[in-house]
Amino acid sequence: MMQLIVDALSNGGLYGLAALGVGLVFGVMRLVNFAHGELIAGAAYLLVTSLSFGLVPALIISIVGAMLLALLLELGVFSRLRGADPSVLLIASFGVSVLLQRIYETIFGALPLSGQAAAWMSGVWQVGNTQISRGSLVTVVLTLTLLVAMKLTIERTTLGLQLRAASADFQTAQLLGVRSNRVIGAAFALSGLLAAVVGFIVFTQRGQVDPLFGVNITILALVGTVIGGLGSLQGAAVGGMVVGATISVLSNALGNDRTYTYSVLFVLVIVVLLVKPAGLFGQGTIKERV
Amino acid sequence: MTSSPMLQVQGLCAGYGGLTVIYDVDLSVSPGEMVGIVGPNGAGKSTLLGAIAGSVRATAGSVEFSGTKILGSKPENIVRRGLALVPEGRHIFTDLTVSENLRLGLTARRDQSGKSAALAAMTELFPVLATHSDQRAGLLSGGQQQQLAIARALVAKPDLIMLDEPSLGLSPTVVRDVFSVMAEIRAQGTAIVVVEQRAHLVIGTADRTHVLREGRIRDTLTPAEENDELRLSTAYFGTELLTP
Repeated sequence: MMQLIVDALSNGGLYGLAALGVGLVFGVMRLVNFAHGELIAGAAYLLVTSLSFGLVPALIISIVGAMLLALLLELGVFSRLRGADPSVLLIASFGVSVLLQRIYETIFGALPLSGQAAAWMSGVWQVGNTQISRGSLVTVVLTLTLLVAMKLTIERTTLGLQLRAASADFQTAQLLGVRSNRVIGAAFALSGLLAAVVGFIVFTQRGQVDPLFGVNITILALVGTVIGGLGSLQGAAVGGMVVGATISVLSNALGNDRTYTYSVLFVLVIVVLLVKPAGLFGQGTIKERV
Repeated sequence: MTSSPMLQVQGLCAGYGGLTVIYDVDLSVSPGEMVGIVGPNGAGKSTLLGAIAGSVRATAGSVEFSGTKILGSKPENIVRRGLALVPEGRHIFTDLTVSENLRLGLTARRDQSGKSAALAAMTELFPVLATHSDQRAGLLSGGQQQQLAIARALVAKPDLIMLDEPSLGLSPTVVRDVFSVMAEIRAQGTAIVVVEQRAHLVIGTADRTHVLREGRIRDTLTPAEENDELRLSTAYFGTELLTP
């Protein structure tokens, strides 16, 4: 039972981070960034190839690398599409996503690359008469800390205030002097940071990385942002947490039928959207802008 | 006109996509002046302000502000030069608190000192903002939201503030409040360009008022001409109205 709760929390936190990364970029520029998964994969590749320098340097390389890759995508692709229809941005992000997958395949090969990061995380802790996996507990602490830090950044700092304003009404924020490119760049950099942490956690769970490493979690994170209500940063994080925790609980409750986890999940998603089309935290209709 | 104009607009054409909405507009505003713009719906009043502020793309002409050509600059850079626009419909951030909305206004301030003094001055000008400081701005009434929108632009200490229909949807008493606020702003030396539906009120208040119809300036009236119904209606509607 204890393990189940910790699993639900850790999976929830993980998907919450992924969804917040997607939600940050969506908020400021109405871009549904499918390439977020390739930021996660890129971070994991950087991690596994630099593990020989030690875990901490490898983590730093992977985080900085993912932030730079995110900024590169913004400068190289998305900044050139300012004012384009959101559907154009969506297709462009698909293109970037597939391109990066092929690049990873060319450099690292189609087969998974394995490595051992933080081996002690695969161990267990004995609490009373129950065992709790260290990986889950560390994930809970790491993700919750990061979510709280992000929440403070978004709610207390000037950058956070500008991000929230730009997410709510980009044009008005610009009219008040908010530098659009800087805010968008900051959103991309933060999404790269979150992607790197997600990449690290997923890598410690799977022990290997392949070109499609980030696809699954990104799709589920997108589901999370939709459930939470597109355009609300808090909604994105909470929506992602709900999706992650639900997956965890479902796969445990279904036991041998856990192949149906996603079927049940998506039925629940459909029910939520039928009852609240704007998501749990969204308000009214979704306006398009920029 | 006492000094050289601060805002000089010449031959401005602007619109959306392939559609031109305003043609060949000339406009000038000197420091401390108040200039009105009136005209029927769809005349291009908001487009004109948007083109000056950089949020609507101009296709021809020039806009010079304090000696710098600003046409084609981004809105965030124009407001940072001291030319603020309060767009129609207020555009308050309803999910942010009143004080967060005001703090956002500080973004465009050139003079980084005196921020808290500017915020304090606003709560003096608009006491209601102080009492609702930590409330979500969406909970304010329409008139209070308009005050917040104006205050948010003013904390940046602009040299020129453009107000797009500040009295839209407000009750007559609140409209009077808005006009007295404009008088106060002007008394403090800030120039104003105001787009308004209430033509007589503006013509009587502003140094001069341009009548815009179908994208062109048709006539310009001064307070002395406030009661020249024939000129106003000709400029406004394009034909002389039959007066009983």
